[in-house]
Amino acid sequence: MSETAPLVWIGAAGAVAAVLQLRRAWSLPRRSAAANGIGWALMLAGAALALAGDGAWGLAVASLAGMTSAALLLAHAGWSAPKGKGRASDRKAHMLPEAGEPRHIGRRLLTFLLTVPLAFAASLLAALGARSLAGIAGWSDADGNAMTLLLVPLLWGILAFWLLMLPRRRSQFTWLAVPATIGLGLIWIGGAL
Amino acid sequence: MTLAFSKDAVQRALSGHAAIGLLASALLYLICLTGTVVVFYQEWQRIEQPNAPEMAAIAPDAVQRAVTAVLATETDKPATTHLYVHMPVDGLPRTTITTDHQAVHVTADGRIAGPEENAWSEFLLGAHYALNIPGLVGMTIVGIFGVMILALSLSGIVAHPRIFRDAFRLRARDNHGVGLADWHNRLSVWTLPFSLAIALTGSMIGLGVVGAYGLAAAFYKNDVEAAYAPIFGEEAAPDATPAPLANVAAPLAWLAKNHPDLRPTYIILHDPRTRGQHIQLIAEHPRRLIYGETYQFGADGTYHGKVGLSDGHLGQQLAASTYNLHFGNYGGLPVKLAYIIFGLALTIVVATGTSIWLGKRQRRGLHEPRLRAGWDGVIWGIPLALTITFLARILLGNGAPLIAIFWTLTIAIPLLAIVVRPQPRPKALLQRLLVGTLVAAIAATLAAAAGLTG
Repeated sequence: MSETAPLVWIGAAGAVAAVLQLRRAWSLPRRSAAANGIGWALMLAGAALALAGDGAWGLAVASLAGMTSAALLLAHAGWSAPKGKGRASDRKAHMLPEAGEPRHIGRRLLTFLLTVPLAFAASLLAALGARSLAGIAGWSDADGNAMTLLLVPLLWGILAFWLLMLPRRRSQFTWLAVPATIGLGLIWIGGAL
Repeated sequence: MTLAFSKDAVQRALSGHAAIGLLASALLYLICLTGTVVVFYQEWQRIEQPNAPEMAAIAPDAVQRAVTAVLATETDKPATTHLYVHMPVDGLPRTTITTDHQAVHVTADGRIAGPEENAWSEFLLGAHYALNIPGLVGMTIVGIFGVMILALSLSGIVAHPRIFRDAFRLRARDNHGVGLADWHNRLSVWTLPFSLAIALTGSMIGLGVVGAYGLAAAFYKNDVEAAYAPIFGEEAAPDATPAPLANVAAPLAWLAKNHPDLRPTYIILHDPRTRGQHIQLIAEHPRRLIYGETYQFGADGTYHGKVGLSDGHLGQQLAASTYNLHFGNYGGLPVKLAYIIFGLALTIVVATGTSIWLGKRQRRGLHEPRLRAGWDGVIWGIPLALTITFLARILLGNGAPLIAIFWTLTIAIPLLAIVVRPQPRPKALLQRLLVGTLVAAIAATLAAAAGLTG
């Protein structure tokens, strides 16, 4: 790292400063949009400078610097924390039935099927649809294929989360059907089917 | 900063977070723990085999002599389809040649020094990469766990509206679950960029084959190699007609002359001693996330061009960056140490997640000693199994059945804790066993190293 661009070091310093500023802002007795804004602006500026200095490598190094400084602040907070008597949360996660509650095994199994295999299939179709669209737009195969490989896990993770947030089965099926149908349609329009 | 979500959304996110977390917990913990330890993959290899010859660099002619010598030992075997030369690099200053049949270290003057003995490092990498499941199934399963980390990160943020506001609050000395929840929430917030990067790159690597099959089915008439070719380059057509061995030294000399700032990391010789043989030289570009650029050469060593991982399409650069970003080998020891710290933090986040859930049930009056003992068996049993496996490698040698030892212990310890010894909690016993085994492993390693030098 001896020939690292100066901008990366400035960006890393910006990320560290951002963490320090956010710590100050979030400990104020009242929420301050200005103090928060300065923190996030420093974070953005640090990232932009590191990116300008040495590309993705610079950004990765600067974000490690920011996270390390946060880890040090946390270590200090943990070390200096007084022995407390705070009451821990006992919010129910409704993961396992408690005494007397129905097991709902069928409902749980369906949720698993929706969020794992079906959400995967929908994400794959949507990603392939995006690849088809990229081809129509004149993207190179390299860019289109790499985008697909990136989109499959990304869309699946987001979709699985979103499906779990929906209160009704019907909306879950809709959210599965929409990306899958659009994806299939785009693949067909792209001439692959 | 407080995120504004409705009470219902928060509750649903918590339920989703718990559901994914509990479904994935044990294997996710194993993947995170082995991922943290495997950051030192190169260093483990040096510990496993401290007597292998080391060098800062190796001359092109010496590499040619070494390749010739290795292939000369395989005249009675089926012809190798690929020959890899691992070039000396800062983290692993060794030259190692791998064929379809063997892997050997070579000396700086190109003589065969002896077989490569890195079974534990390879086992560890296999455990993280594919849960030691051969073929593509294991990789795909691990990729799915990367997706789960993504979903857990999103649901965790929504389930805890004050997670950013409290980001610097760590009541480490609180009992009854407050401290545990604080550790879980703080570490997860501050490692969020790391966790997302690790999860996305890991799932890209793990699910890459599935994606490639999809691409092949939709756009390349089921030809998977054709789907990869625009990114990583094409394989030349083979021609099995016998031919003199390719000139492996010339590409190294070409790189030294034309790109003195680049460092060769691998030479791949395809179909050696056939008319179809050709050479790929992978060179590391400083201050880049890509694992390297692939420079291509003919059998006589003439330069045929590069694939474009360093300056080609953005997609090529992105795909080539996933490996270093995931494994943390893009900035020497400082970056590796950072990855160890954040990897450990992610492992703790996974471990504490289930512990928090168990604690909440206990506070609501549900006493489940077997469930608690089983989780103790996972949290402390997996590192114990890993350490015993390492000890077995040092004491029994490179041929020790590492995969069998590890998986037997990994499954047996939680089961024994559940069935035989749920109470008193097995945590303290397992912790003592872990410390004892760690001390024994360090002592055995030092003794083995002293035996070599003494």
